[in-house]
Amino acid sequence: MISVTPAQKSEKEGSENIINVNNLHKTFVTGFLPYGRVSRVLWKTWPRGAKVLSNRVEAVKGLSFSVRRGEIFGLLGPNGAGKTTTLKIMMGLIFQDKGEIQLFGHKPGSLQAKKRTGFLPENPYFYDYLRAEEFLSLVAALTGIPRRERKKRIHEMLKRVGLEEAVDRPLRKYSKGMLQRIGLAQALLCDPLLVVLDEPLSGLDPVGRKEIRDIIRGLKKEGKTVLFSSHILSDVEMLCDRVAIMSKGSLRHIGSLDELLKDDSGTMEMVLNGKKEVLDELLEKWEGSGERIGEKARFITESAEEKDRLLKKALEKGLSLESLAPRRSSLEEIFMSKTGTIDEKRSGESQSKKKDEKEE
Amino acid sequence: MRKISAIAVNTFREAIRNKILYALLFFAVALIMASIVVARLSLHEEIRVIEDLGLAATSLFSVLIAVFVGVNLVYKELERKTVFFIIPKPIYRWEFLWGKLIGTSLTLAVLVGFMALVFFGVLMIMGGAVRVVLLKAIWLYYVEVLVISTVALFFSSFSSPFLSGLFTILVFVVGRLTPDIEMFIPRMGDEWLKTFTQAVMYCIPDLNLFNVSGALVAGEWVSIHGEFVTWLYVGKATAYGLIYGGIVMFLAMVVFRRRDFV
Ligand SMILES: Nc1ncnc2c1ncn2[C@@H]1O[C@H](COP(=O)(O)OP(=O)(O)O)[C@@H](O)[C@H]1O
Ligand SMILES: [Mg+2]
Repeated sequence: MISVTPAQKSEKEGSENIINVNNLHKTFVTGFLPYGRVSRVLWKTWPRGAKVLSNRVEAVKGLSFSVRRGEIFGLLGPNGAGKTTTLKIMMGLIFQDKGEIQLFGHKPGSLQAKKRTGFLPENPYFYDYLRAEEFLSLVAALTGIPRRERKKRIHEMLKRVGLEEAVDRPLRKYSKGMLQRIGLAQALLCDPLLVVLDEPLSGLDPVGRKEIRDIIRGLKKEGKTVLFSSHILSDVEMLCDRVAIMSKGSLRHIGSLDELLKDDSGTMEMVLNGKKEVLDELLEKWEGSGERIGEKARFITESAEEKDRLLKKALEKGLSLESLAPRRSSLEEIFMSKTGTIDEKRSGESQSKKKDEKEE
Repeated sequence: MRKISAIAVNTFREAIRNKILYALLFFAVALIMASIVVARLSLHEEIRVIEDLGLAATSLFSVLIAVFVGVNLVYKELERKTVFFIIPKPIYRWEFLWGKLIGTSLTLAVLVGFMALVFFGVLMIMGGAVRVVLLKAIWLYYVEVLVISTVALFFSSFSSPFLSGLFTILVFVVGRLTPDIEMFIPRMGDEWLKTFTQAVMYCIPDLNLFNVSGALVAGEWVSIHGEFVTWLYVGKATAYGLIYGGIVMFLAMVVFRRRDFV
């Protein structure tokens, strides 16, 4: 793996919180008056005129959270929740109206903060006329990797993200999955302490998703802090130590996954296999919820006692246990209730979508 | 400095891998070649015609290329969202801007140099000579396109490529017409209009200084046909261009410092 440079090793980070977000606000102005400052003055002095000339979108409203050193932190929320906006402020790409963010105790956009951070934007686009190697050399030069180390590092990185074969191809010929991987490569090249990823898993096929998840897990093992955003629950479930759930620009929940799932920890999902008639009989008798799925039957048990009882019955009747797993869809439900989008049909849909994702 | 040069090299690479640039270059070369035909038509003035036409073609296409490259520079990075990779890297925003400018200057140097070589080749085939004054003229055109690229860069740091291109070309045309417009100002009736025009002319660079193929500049006759373009003149014009370009870059840096990349 990539060696930690002495400078980074000897660095004293001080606080345990790598990122502090405090009462962050950002309003976008669109329309005839896209220039923030001009329109802000106009909104203050002549709101009626300003309304005609421009539109305001409050993307982030009073957001606060912290990310601790060494954890994988998920920023979760439906599309339009303000995740990308928050991350862009963090990267010094846009400026907040109110509140503040600190990375390693420094302002976003300062060299001190940027030196220690790697960023993967959402839906990355690239200099499509460049080859992977040329692009990474540019990144290496910008991040100040010494010239003599560059070649070695670039090749290590390309290997790590599985792009060795595509080194010589121009980026315009890359598939979406490959672009995501070269995006990850450019974020990780300078061996940053903090890695910020905006929707790193969206738009990828199951294999690609798994590969990227493995890379993210690897980062944690190396002791790095990872912050990533997602609107897909299963990603967060599989990866994160802690999550913040955002909706409409503000925080709805923050905490560890265990905390989040505590109430439902007893709910299990049991899949049984066996003779058709026996399964049907059991389904009929069983007081909890259950359903046939093809040759099998799935049961939901709400407590440990219920689970044991069902299992005993099933084994007595000669059925075999296909699988037994905690029913994690509760995160989905929490998400729905936190983001205020409780809607039977939609939650049903996303549950089946989640199942698809799980089947990878 | 290493970071600026990395961005500059990338800008250069992007420019020379752009097909539109080659189309422009092709037309420039075609026009320079065509000067042979036109020269034949003029009796006894062949060399003079080739010199004038060759310089004019070089200048025109250099300006077009400078506008094209200049306005696309920053805008493309924003539109294709490649800034999202560059800005989060440990560089200052102004380093990005200067990298872009230096990359453009490099590109323009290569292209202007190439056009000059074709021009000199044609000239020599037709029996002319590459006089020092021609080199001076080409150099001044190069300084002119540098000024134009800073203007293009400035506009494109907050405006769309179409508007930036339009404004930049406007600055070029008005800049070239500076002496004519200034001559016209005293004859304007309205005091306000006078003041306004004067203010505008104060902001727009006097590009006529860089166009030495036979013109009255600041009461001094400069022409490539006599050896009137002194080194002092070249030095002064260059200094003027660099100072003007520097001021425009400073303004672009101010605009760039706090802008949102959305
Ligand atoms: N450049 C912009 N101009 C205007 N509105 C924007 C801009 N960027 C984002 N928004 C709005 O801000 C809100 C939050 O967007 P975003 O941060 O991209 O959400 P997410 O990443 O969570 O999907 C959305 O309503 C979006 O339409
Ligand atoms: Mg987003």
